[in-house]
Amino acid sequence: MVALRPARIIAIAAVTGAFLLPLAWTGLAAVGVLPDDSTRPPSWTGPPTLDHIAEIGVAEPTFWQELATSTLAAILAACLTVAVAFPAAFALARSRFRGGRTATQVFLVLASLPVMAYVIPLADLSSRVHLIDTFAGITLAEAAVTAPLAVFVLHGAVAQLPPEWEEAAVIDGAGLVRILGGVVLPLIAPSVAATLVVMFVLDWNMLLVPLVLTSGAVKTVPVALSDFFTFERELDWPTAAAALMVSLAPLAVLVGVFHRVLESFALQAPGGRDIG
Amino acid sequence: MRLTRRDRLLLFAPLAILLGGWLVGPALVGLGATLTTYSPLTTAVAFAGWQNYTDVLHDPQFGEAARNVAIFTLVAVPLELGLGFGVAYLLRRPFRGRSWWRGLLLLPWLVSPIATGVMWHYLFGGATGILNFVLGWLGQPEVASPIGDVRLALAATIAIEVWRMAPFVTFLLLPGLVAIPEERWEQATLVGASWFRRIVNVALPEVAPLMLTVGMLLTGLSLGAFDTILILTGGGPGTATLTPALYSYDRAFVTNDWPSGAASAWLIAGCVAVVGTVYIRVSARWSR
Repeated sequence: MVALRPARIIAIAAVTGAFLLPLAWTGLAAVGVLPDDSTRPPSWTGPPTLDHIAEIGVAEPTFWQELATSTLAAILAACLTVAVAFPAAFALARSRFRGGRTATQVFLVLASLPVMAYVIPLADLSSRVHLIDTFAGITLAEAAVTAPLAVFVLHGAVAQLPPEWEEAAVIDGAGLVRILGGVVLPLIAPSVAATLVVMFVLDWNMLLVPLVLTSGAVKTVPVALSDFFTFERELDWPTAAAALMVSLAPLAVLVGVFHRVLESFALQAPGGRDIG
Repeated sequence: MRLTRRDRLLLFAPLAILLGGWLVGPALVGLGATLTTYSPLTTAVAFAGWQNYTDVLHDPQFGEAARNVAIFTLVAVPLELGLGFGVAYLLRRPFRGRSWWRGLLLLPWLVSPIATGVMWHYLFGGATGILNFVLGWLGQPEVASPIGDVRLALAATIAIEVWRMAPFVTFLLLPGLVAIPEERWEQATLVGASWFRRIVNVALPEVAPLMLTVGMLLTGLSLGAFDTILILTGGGPGTATLTPALYSYDRAFVTNDWPSGAASAWLIAGCVAVVGTVYIRVSARWSR
């Protein structure tokens, strides 16, 4: 730990303030504290109230149900992503073959590929195998979208691990499953947890995939928000702000609880220097 | 440990099934379908060659969309990288509560793209927004929301994207900056290097590979810019903020012109593939 110079403390505070100001504005509106820009100088109106949170349910009666759908789909999709990405990342890190480096980078390119590039045929195929409007269909598709990024991050975590741990386990006669679950997984647990949190955030916020894979029977919060505003229904700003804050709250709490663990989320450039 | 062929197959199989069924598979099926007259609504399918692609490329609307997304990407990505790096640089030395602070700074990225659009719709306009509040304090007259102005709409969407993504860039770059050994900074201080020299000679060479990786992610995501713009402007006013992704969505799901939608979506994928190849080449050269 070093003592920071005052100039840096001021700079950090100013940057944080600038980035968080729009959210603070929204947060105030959610509890009914609104500016009045028509007076000179602008003034603030309204005593704080929690009424607007109750109004969400009036404007969008199924909002709380959509919140539950979003949460469950994001939890399952994040777990599925990590469950399939971890073994593949391990195999990728522990096999020496020509082009192994490139293979890892192809996963990053896949992670950068916009969902729009493949979602149109995905919607068509899903409707043909009757996965449209099903919870499973949305969860599986969300898991697939985030899987390449998880492979890239977990590959970096495994690659930094000295192979001696596994070799010792092999000598003890451990099989593949025991090595993966009993040796490697505990050693990179912080990276796995951080990946789970980031995947949850990505799944929770995903719009396009659930939007085209449902006609309304299974709705997540982003889809509900998009429906609400595309059909030209005007919502009161305080109610909209309350809905935004409620849908942000779970993520904020998650990141708050796991802030230390999230330091292990690192995009390692394969073959590059350690950035751990 | 030594993995046998069978081990590797077992370890890759679950991922292969998931990606094959829900990502790579549909993408390739879509590519095949765009070379025909296929559409989910028709039964007669004939080979069409590149016809769908030439149709899209000759559509002036798609041209506008391509121009917009080029500007969007070329302006937003460097700003996100620069701003994200700057904030990460401020946070590079450990202090009490830094990891907590880092989480706090991530908040804008936690707001979903769709919620971001809804939020800025109100913040930019109306009698309760930030813009007119600040202008009011400065004694300036009220202005109309920039998202309704043909000349300002694209700039406004870029500013919003940078607001949301720069914190994520900070989050991704910080581990790289923290890993730079303390001696490197001390050496630079001893020879009297200015803060600018320290950034150019100490920080940037160390985080360059990481920045390349983050730049790849940002470029791909910018080329597919969709969610926030859909809710904020829907591509308007006119075609001022139309992007190829919005164009594809509109063709495939709104006007039911499936072949154009799928073909234009594949053009986005093609662009990302080109950027990806450049990324792999550059990264291979750097690590040599």
